[in-house]
Parts: sequence; structure tokens; C-alpha cells
Amino acid sequence: MSKPSSFSLRGRKALVAIKDERDASIVKRQFERLGIEIVTWEPGAKIDCRPDVTLIDDEFLPLTSPAQRASLGRSPVIALLGTETPSRLKLVLDLDPASFLVKPLRSAGIYAALVMAFERNERTNELKQQVVKLEQRLRSRRIVLAAVLQVMHTHALAEPAAFALIRRAAMEQRKTIEDISAEITAKGSLPRAIG
Amino acid sequence: MTKPSIPVGIICSQHGPYQAMGREILKSAMMAVDEINEQDGFDFSISAHVRDPRGVIAEYHTVCDDLIRNVGVEHIIGCYTSASRKQVLPIVERTDRLLWYPARYEGFECSDNVIYVGASPNHNVLPLVRYVLDNLSREIFCVGSNYVWTWETNRVTRELVTAAGGRILAERLLELGESAVTHIVDEIVRRRPPVVFNTLVGSSSYDFIRAFHAATTAANLSIPMLSCSLCEPELKIAGPASAGCITSSAYFESIRLPENKAFVARWKARYGEHSSPSVDGQSAYVAVYLLARALQRAGTSDIGEVRRAAAGHRYNSPQGPVWIDDSNNHCVLTPRLAVSNAEAQFDIFWEAEAPVKPDPYLTQLDVAASPARDAASPNAPHLRVVK
Repeated sequence: MSKPSSFSLRGRKALVAIKDERDASIVKRQFERLGIEIVTWEPGAKIDCRPDVTLIDDEFLPLTSPAQRASLGRSPVIALLGTETPSRLKLVLDLDPASFLVKPLRSAGIYAALVMAFERNERTNELKQQVVKLEQRLRSRRIVLAAVLQVMHTHALAEPAAFALIRRAAMEQRKTIEDISAEITAKGSLPRAIG
Repeated sequence: MTKPSIPVGIICSQHGPYQAMGREILKSAMMAVDEINEQDGFDFSISAHVRDPRGVIAEYHTVCDDLIRNVGVEHIIGCYTSASRKQVLPIVERTDRLLWYPARYEGFECSDNVIYVGASPNHNVLPLVRYVLDNLSREIFCVGSNYVWTWETNRVTRELVTAAGGRILAERLLELGESAVTHIVDEIVRRRPPVVFNTLVGSSSYDFIRAFHAATTAANLSIPMLSCSLCEPELKIAGPASAGCITSSAYFESIRLPENKAFVARWKARYGEHSSPSVDGQSAYVAVYLLARALQRAGTSDIGEVRRAAAGHRYNSPQGPVWIDDSNNHCVLTPRLAVSNAEAQFDIFWEAEAPVKPDPYLTQLDVAASPARDAASPNAPHLRVVK
């Protein structure tokens, strides 16, 4: 099944903290048009839902509760900017916003800000997963190195040939080089199929 | 006693690449203005202040500014392309005026200072592409003018076609007013796509239709053409080559409603037996009536009052019942599908069972849904055959 399109927003849930009533009513009206459910939130109150996106007015910054900051960190945040002073922007950047809107709000721009936020969040999550994977591989380099040294010693091979042998074993057994290296170092020899 | 006069701006290009449509919009709007001014039921008259931006995008800003500053209009009817509407939008929002926009457009906008009288994308693109997928092909060759209407129409088409397991064979774009179409027609003849979706506007479209017809006839090919914008006056401009085009629209001259028969009769009495109203022109006519009826109910031209008075009130227009959905300022309309004939008219073969709520952000669209499943949605067009 394909992932939901960032362009289709129907059925998503938004946590909304907006100070000005006019801005709040514009967001409410536009969200109704887009089929987005709104949960209004007063900073200071406990966040008891899992929103898909959060809109937060810069008037409410900084958030003092670490629990609130952690809650907001799970979904993309759209900051509503009333001023562009660096001091205010610094508070906004602490939330790592995925998108922003400039107050006073108008209906134009809200849809784009939402799409950008969802898409940015999606891409950031993909990058984070990729980083985790790369970090794991980096950590296991030590094991691969140990396995290469062991094969070099056992089979009297140069480093390129030892690594090629390990890689071939990994391919034949449909395992990663890191996994096969772990087996080599644990058993003290190449797996029997290759041996 | 003389009725008080309310100034209304009318902005339509009577020169430039889409001058034909601009003139049709002006003719229909003026017909509505004259009708309203002659009716006792309205306790005011409308004084129309017409401006011609000549198809030059920047001019739309200039003439709109002039209408608001120097004439003092609160209501403006007009604009045709989205680019022209986007020029006017910042001024009407900043000065809190109301633009009554007659053309069908690609959606994804919802200004409180615009009443969108033309079709939303769920009124025209969706029924057309669903019909093609169900009845003609899952492969479509797209050719269009290089601007937002084509881009967005093609995007929606691609999503629907791809979800149905089909594909877009090509997307060929021409600049507005471009007449060099031979290379695209040659490609179509060479590749023989099952259908061609034409989102060209104005003279480019007429040139393409003629060249397409000549080339496919010479090659003994029968390739259906699709459109969401062709109208009767354009069929006459393009000539006999325009017959056979499957078109999606909320208005055709051939609608068999008494309101439309009377409208067409008045039109022909005014503009000649051989002239025809167009979808965007008829929409401008509807816009003037929606405005006038709202002015009458509101008892003031103040835009907030007029907007409130306009919302939700049903008007039995030539195209059938129309009303403004107050949740998004777009109009509830009845989608229709037709095929153009040799007499420069359309034979309607499908229409929605009831007027369809506008969905400018395509919020209700589920591209993965089969047409049958989608029809169960309350906002989906329920199509029926028109005999």
C-alpha cells in the first residue's frame, strides 16, 4: 500500500494553540474545508492526544514544560510568527518547526504550510532512519575489521583478498557483511560453506 | 423615482490570447446587468464599469486598483485565467472588496474576498477522468497551455490514472498564445495514444484542434479528444474540426431546462441567432444575478452583509440550481459531460443526479477508490445518463 499523500489532509488531527481569536477562527475555517480535526490547546495544559501536526503561536513561546516539548517533538510543528526579531525566531527554532505562517493569518498559505510540514517531517524521518542505519554500520566496522584480520591471518591473504572472501561468503549466504563478520569472529574461522 | 445606482467593476480582456472568452464574459455580464436594471424587483440599478486588461497580466492589477480607488466599486466581476485572479486577489483582500470570479479553475484557493462562481476541480476534471478510465482508456496523452490550470489538471489526472493502474503517456506544454503545434500533432500521430486531453486555452487550442483533426484524418486515426473548457463559441472558431470532443462542464447551450431555453432565447435576440453563450459567459451572467440578489436581500453593498446574504440562497439559473457554499465561497453546481457535434453544439450524455458541493481542495477525493466505491461518497458526483 502506498503512503498517504502529503497533499491529502482529510482525517488528520491538529493540535492548535493560537492566541488571537481572529487568527484562530481563520485556521478553524480553513481546517474544516480541508477535513482536518482540531484539538485546541492552551500551553500549560497537558497534551492528551497524539496530533499529526501542531500549530503554535509564537506568543506562547518558550514552552517551559519538558513534557510538552517532548510531546510536540513527535509531530511536525508549524510556527505562527508575529514578529521576525532574532530573539523570537530563536525561541521558534528551539521547536525545530517544519513550517511557518506569518500573522495576521489569511486562508491563503495555510494549506501550503501544512503540506510542507507533512512532507518535511516525512523526509526528515527518512533521513533519521538512514542515519541510524549508517551509525549501526559504522559501529560494526570494528567487527568487520576483526574478521578481515582473522581471515588474513588464517588463510595468509592480503587485506583485499580477505575482504573479497568475506563479501563472497555474505552474498552466498544472503547475509550482511557485518553479520558474517560477527560469525567469523565468534567461530574463529570462515563459515563452512566457504571454507 | 430613479433607483439608486450601485457601481460594479467588470474586468475582462477583450484583446490578447483569450480575447474570445473575455468578450463572451462581457456580453453575458452586460446582458445580466441590463436585465436587472429593467426589473422592478430590484430596488437599485447596477452601473457597470468595464475595464480591458488586454490579456496583459500586470494590467489586471492596474485596472482593479483604478476601479477601487477612482470609481469606488465594492464588487468586481471578472478575471479569466488564474494568473489574472492572483493579480487582483491582493488588492481585493487588502481593501476588503469582493471579486465574483466566473471561470472554472483548478482549485486550492479559498479567499474570503472572492466568490468562486465557476466549476471547482471536482465538478469538471474528476467526472471527465473517471469517465475516461471507465469507458475509454487508462492511458492518456496530455497537451496544454503552460500555466497553473494545466499543471494542476494534469496532476489530478495523473493521480487518478496512476491509481487505476494506467499512465500518462506524455505531457506536452505550449506557452499561452503559441501556435506552433505541429511537433505535438506529429508525435500524437506517431505514438497513436488512445485519448488526448487538451487543456490548451484560447488560440493555441483552436490551432491545435484544427491541426490534430487534419493530421489524424490523413493518418486514418480516430483518437478521442478530451476537454474541461471548450465551449460553443470556441467550437465555432475552431470549425468543423472541433466535432467529437468529449467535454466536461457545468453549462452547455443544449441544457434542456426552461430557465436555459429562456436564457438562450434572450441571448439570441440580443446577440444574433447564430451566436451562442459560453460556459464562462453564462457563469458571469450567474455571478451578476447572485450579486444582485444578494444586494437586494442585504439592502446594502457592504461586502460582509452581501456575502452573508449571498450564502446558501438557491438561484435557478440557466445551468440549473446554483448556490454559494458558505463554508468555502465556491458554488454548488451540476457537473455534465457532453460530446461536441458538427453543428458546434454539445450533445449531453451524462449529468450529476443533483447539484454537487464544491471541493476546491479535493478533500473528498480518494484516488485509490474505485469509481463505484467513490460514488457512495455523499460528495461524489452521481452520474446518470441524460436521454
